[in-house]
Amino acid sequence: MSEVVDAPVKPAFEPASLHPMRGEDGEIIQIRQFNLWYGASQALFDNNFSIERGLVTALIGPSGCGKSTLLRCFNRMNDLIDNLRVTGKIVLDNADIFAPNIDVIALRKRMGMVFQKPNPFPMSIYENVVYPLRIDGVRSKSRLDETCERALKDAGLWDEAKDRLESSALGLSGGQQQRLCIARAIAGDPEVLLLDEPCSALDPIATAKIEELIDELRGKYTVIIVTHNMQQAVRVSDNTAFMYLGRLIEYGDTNTVFENPQRPRTHDYVTGRFG
Amino acid sequence: MDNVTTDQAAIRPIDAPSAVVRRSPATALSARGEPFMWALGAALTIGIVMVIGFLLFVFWNGLVTFIPKPVAVVTLRSGAMVAGEPTRPELYRLSPDAIKALPPAEAAKVAVNGGYGHRTLYRIGNYDLYNEDFRWVSDHDVDKIDYPEEMVFIERLEWGVFVGRIRSVKIGDRDLANPTPKDPALVAAHKEARARWQTIRRIERDLIGRVNHDLEVLRLDVRRAEIKHGPASTQAEKARLAEAAQIPSLKSEYDRLTGEAVRLNSIAQLNTVTLADVTGKEKVLPLSSLVRFYPANNLSFFDKVSIYLSRWGEFLSAEPREANTEGGVLPAIFGTVAMTLLMVLVVAPMGVITALYLREYAKQGRLVSIVRISVNNLAGVPSIVYGVFGLGFFAYGIGAHIDDLFFPERLPAPTFGTGGILWSALTLALLTVPVVIVATEEALSAVPRSMREGSLACGASKWQTIKNIVLPRAMPGIMTGIILAMARGAGEVAPLMLVGVVKLAPTLPFDGYFPFVHLERSFMHLGFHIYDVGFQSRNSEAGKPMVFVTTCLLIAVITFLNLAAIVIRSRLKRQFAGNQF
Ligand SMILES: Nc1ncnc2c1ncn2[C@@H]1O[C@H](COP(=O)(O)OP(=O)(O)O)[C@@H](O)[C@H]1O
Ligand SMILES: [Mg+2]
Repeated sequence: MSEVVDAPVKPAFEPASLHPMRGEDGEIIQIRQFNLWYGASQALFDNNFSIERGLVTALIGPSGCGKSTLLRCFNRMNDLIDNLRVTGKIVLDNADIFAPNIDVIALRKRMGMVFQKPNPFPMSIYENVVYPLRIDGVRSKSRLDETCERALKDAGLWDEAKDRLESSALGLSGGQQQRLCIARAIAGDPEVLLLDEPCSALDPIATAKIEELIDELRGKYTVIIVTHNMQQAVRVSDNTAFMYLGRLIEYGDTNTVFENPQRPRTHDYVTGRFG
Repeated sequence: MDNVTTDQAAIRPIDAPSAVVRRSPATALSARGEPFMWALGAALTIGIVMVIGFLLFVFWNGLVTFIPKPVAVVTLRSGAMVAGEPTRPELYRLSPDAIKALPPAEAAKVAVNGGYGHRTLYRIGNYDLYNEDFRWVSDHDVDKIDYPEEMVFIERLEWGVFVGRIRSVKIGDRDLANPTPKDPALVAAHKEARARWQTIRRIERDLIGRVNHDLEVLRLDVRRAEIKHGPASTQAEKARLAEAAQIPSLKSEYDRLTGEAVRLNSIAQLNTVTLADVTGKEKVLPLSSLVRFYPANNLSFFDKVSIYLSRWGEFLSAEPREANTEGGVLPAIFGTVAMTLLMVLVVAPMGVITALYLREYAKQGRLVSIVRISVNNLAGVPSIVYGVFGLGFFAYGIGAHIDDLFFPERLPAPTFGTGGILWSALTLALLTVPVVIVATEEALSAVPRSMREGSLACGASKWQTIKNIVLPRAMPGIMTGIILAMARGAGEVAPLMLVGVVKLAPTLPFDGYFPFVHLERSFMHLGFHIYDVGFQSRNSEAGKPMVFVTTCLLIAVITFLNLAAIVIRSRLKRQFAGNQF
């Protein structure tokens, strides 16, 4: 992690308000003048804001506004896409994650990611959870067992899964699979959890469980959650970023963004007038 | 619409059908697509019937070949007698002279048939006496057909089968006159003679073979030392001394073994059997040269079953004799299986690695597209071209260099510089690698993107993702490719004829001599065996039933290999099939 950010870049606008916990732990990720192009078409325009450590930040906005694109920049999953180009910076711990000498694998290990559709591997539940340790070459049975238990407990799946750790993960229900994916994401002991619409493929009960879980993860991890469900954003997040057509329109404390938005477009969106 | 029709009807005669209202039945049908469905169904049915018919035909002919058949003794009107197994009847056109020679009643029958008559092919055997194995007998010349109980069908080591009677048997100084084939004394003596014959063969082939092998190794040691260090060097001198020191003991061992073989042979000569053909012509043979004999017209059901099974046993477990038309095909089974497995060992990693590179690592662009198209087109190259390539590149190219480098002492006799099982396997691997590449690429691209992303997001490297997630997930598809490649490779004959398959391989590619695996050796193959037996032997009529039996066996071997692979694949598949609803 080399490139040190010399001076704090001034955000494009002053956040209206931020969550009361702000300042205790500071910012973990800073997004500075960040632009992104898929080939010739620009998907993100001049984004400037910071994610706060230990809080739950929701990214909301109409479909296609670039929420997933931005989320996937944080752990550089976008590297898989040809012809992708970025300018500006995303800074994690004083280092630009797009700098050429960044160890992408180490970066991804600091960021657990959960996708829209549950994607458990075709292995046992146990192997799914300890996968991040396996790829690190961890052999110690006790350490694997311990991690598996901790991660499953953190993900609220331990009681349901403890008697069937060796059976295939594909036999779990959709909601259980998604919690398994969360367990897998936190087994590697990341600092940040990136959740890309984690509940969009789930039924209301499974969704409620995941939301409860996110609430419990607050403080242990910095959570960034993309959601198209505004009630969900209100329920789980501390800060909310509203994006529109690749631009950050408004960012601040969730209650403020929803109850007293500063921008007319945010107002229209959160009151359901469009989107 | 209605209006238009009414208007048109108004200006036309009332009974003229309106083109707008009435569709022709043909249009209706083709619109519904039913003729296509029928055509598809018919094509499918024809295809299935052809496949099943073909399999039934081959298997039926293969399975009945070994059933013992009765021996007919045909007395012709001329008084001549023919004895043999009736093989098949046929219609044929009689020459005018032949018709003239027939009695009026028979001539009338032929005339009714428009000049055609019936004839039957008999397997008469006794090639040493008659110079033919089969004879056509016109049904119109037959006076009578008997099935005498004492007729014996004899399979011999040489000259094919004998059909006739057993006159007498000499066992040491004991004589049996007119014994039946089931005479216990005869059966016991025969068993003993066969056991002795096996011993002689073992001495001549294995024991003397080992002595010869040891002598050859010593000679090659000397030669190698001479080539490497010069004929006058101390090393060469040492090798020569070592050879000289060992030769006497090997020579005396050789003499002892040949003496033993000669002794056993002289005992064998004392046990003979005198056979007579149907006309009374006699033939004396050592008892040990009879492989199997039975009274063809006096067999119980149980006898027939045991002869049938013993023939299958010999076929599956013995070496061929009589220019491959008799005996067994064990070396060919072994060669086919060994070569196919060797090919799979080569083609599987080669194809999978190539596909992995093309799909996962190479930058997708024009170059990769060209490579991909070329690979697909490779599958369309005629297989004989691969044979020519294999001979030129592997045997004469690489093989010759290997000989120069590692086996100079054996030259001018080539070791790797000629066809062999390794070169065959490599040639077939080249021939079948496109199948594996295409299947693997497809399987790789069918692995869901979400799986790869899940793994990468956990901090796995690209290779870890491929190894842990992508490859296991793609394995059933890859296995399908390998199965297809195996099926293609195991049935391929043309290229093998150039790069290592021979009519008769004296030694298997695996044996007890160091280094135990001899991949440079030529080998026998069931596919080539079929061709050789059916079309290259002394008498293709004798080979014909063997063609079916061997074809049966080839299909069975390939089916077995494929089933094994399919079982492995379904195991793999089960691993990925969740019971998710
Ligand atoms: N791989 C890609 N290649 C090209 N364009 C893309 C790609 N992924 C997303 N986009 C485009 O980028 C924009 C933002 O997409 P996305 O981040 O998925 O939106 P959201 O998650 O907010 O619904 C969309 O216009 C989409 O069409
Ligand atoms: Mg999205």
